[in-house]
Amino acid sequence: MRPDSLLATLDRWGRVALPGTVLLLSVLLTLAPLRAPYLSDALPLLPALVVFQYSLAMPERLPGPLLLILGVLLDLLLGGPGAPIGISALGFVLIRAAVLNNRRYLVGVPFLFQWFGFCLLALGYVFLVWIFTAIWTWTAIDAAPAMVQYVVVVVLYPLIAPLLVRIRARDPLNVPEPSRGAARSGGTAP
Amino acid sequence: MAIRDDFEVAAAQVRAAVQRFALGLLVLACFAAMLIGKADTVLVENARVLALDLASPVLEAIARPVAAANRAIADLKEFASLREENARLREENARLLSWQTAARRLENENDGLRALANFREGPEASFITARIVGDSVSAYVRGALLNVGRRVGVAPGQAVLTGEGLAGRVAEVGDNSARVLFVTDVNSKLPVLIERTRERAILAGDNSPQLRLTLLQSVGGVQRGDRVVTSGHGGSFPVGIPVGEVVETSEGHVRVRPFSDFSRLEFVRVIDYGVTGLVNSGPAPATPLPPPPSAASGQKVR
Repeated sequence: MRPDSLLATLDRWGRVALPGTVLLLSVLLTLAPLRAPYLSDALPLLPALVVFQYSLAMPERLPGPLLLILGVLLDLLLGGPGAPIGISALGFVLIRAAVLNNRRYLVGVPFLFQWFGFCLLALGYVFLVWIFTAIWTWTAIDAAPAMVQYVVVVVLYPLIAPLLVRIRARDPLNVPEPSRGAARSGGTAP
Repeated sequence: MAIRDDFEVAAAQVRAAVQRFALGLLVLACFAAMLIGKADTVLVENARVLALDLASPVLEAIARPVAAANRAIADLKEFASLREENARLREENARLLSWQTAARRLENENDGLRALANFREGPEASFITARIVGDSVSAYVRGALLNVGRRVGVAPGQAVLTGEGLAGRVAEVGDNSARVLFVTDVNSKLPVLIERTRERAILAGDNSPQLRLTLLQSVGGVQRGDRVVTSGHGGSFPVGIPVGEVVETSEGHVRVRPFSDFSRLEFVRVIDYGVTGLVNSGPAPATPLPPPPSAASGQKVR
């Protein structure tokens, strides 16, 4: 495939738009009436999983402002009356920052480490949303449903993450040389 | 060479500073959004409605195949227990027929007595049938999205019913979408009556599957199995919609199980009850007409 052919251009644009599109889809999917007992419990945390996974793989294609917009959209769509707008956005931005600052512990390490990292960050995210919602609405919110969500999404992570990883695994071979360095872990360009 | 290295180091430092600054800015923006959401509720309401209207066609496209698949699975399950189901239904039918006779007799008697007493009925209700296109269920909210909105006469505050009983009320309305807040949501407070004793109470949700009943009078009169119905106090709800039954009574602590099964909702009815028919937005008719013809699939109840 020639680098300037139409297919290559489409391919490049597709790759650039992919993380944002997947995140948007996962935001919409949080509202889908799936009716599956445990699966639908975990749906509200699916966007956080996508943010984590793509911050790991291609952070430059999931910029902060985009996270801000999609997080606010998630809050607008999912939140009940009185729920804080922007708390998911805050969670997304913090997840991205945490992943970027700890890349050397998370990229190029065994899958189990990534899973552990996700466990920690998702716990932080769940706690953040819970505490803010409780303060914002000034009610003692039962933490049990939030914990069920958390456990389900942590268990689902090994099933969903490889799907996103598959897209990532081929990535460094296809992107042109200059942008390859940015997607790599730790090391700077020589 | 050294100058170049210095430059690169400096550039890297600047880039790092900008990145750190960017994170701070983003966090600030999030807090700003939260503050704006707290201060300007009208703006947020409009934004929510806009987002709902934009998302509802996509959600409807997702909802249909999912509903079809779920129905197929349910069908398969029912096949297995067809015979028992049939026997149960035949028995129930016999029981209901005797109730029907009783109800007819009472209705006639009621009509006669009403005519004698010159009793004036409340406004007539019509309803709009809606498909649930989205779950608005997380750890913090219990609700759903409907595919009907202002255009067919849905307005905030209207009651939402399932076949079994009350599901909730309409909270937000867009042009072609609406958000229902279930009775189990923590924001839901509902004036109700205990059907047997006619005692008034408030039924509040707390995001758990069961509801909390706060009695305005004595606790003593409530028993397990008592049916709880809407009292009609506070406007747009009709009187006597079944909500749930009492499942637990302990010291000042009454729990009610709602009749509606929120995990399997597919269609609901939005009750348009009198008052909202008159304050309908859009081109109002010159004379106040009875509401039913305006509703898309409106049908008279009672």
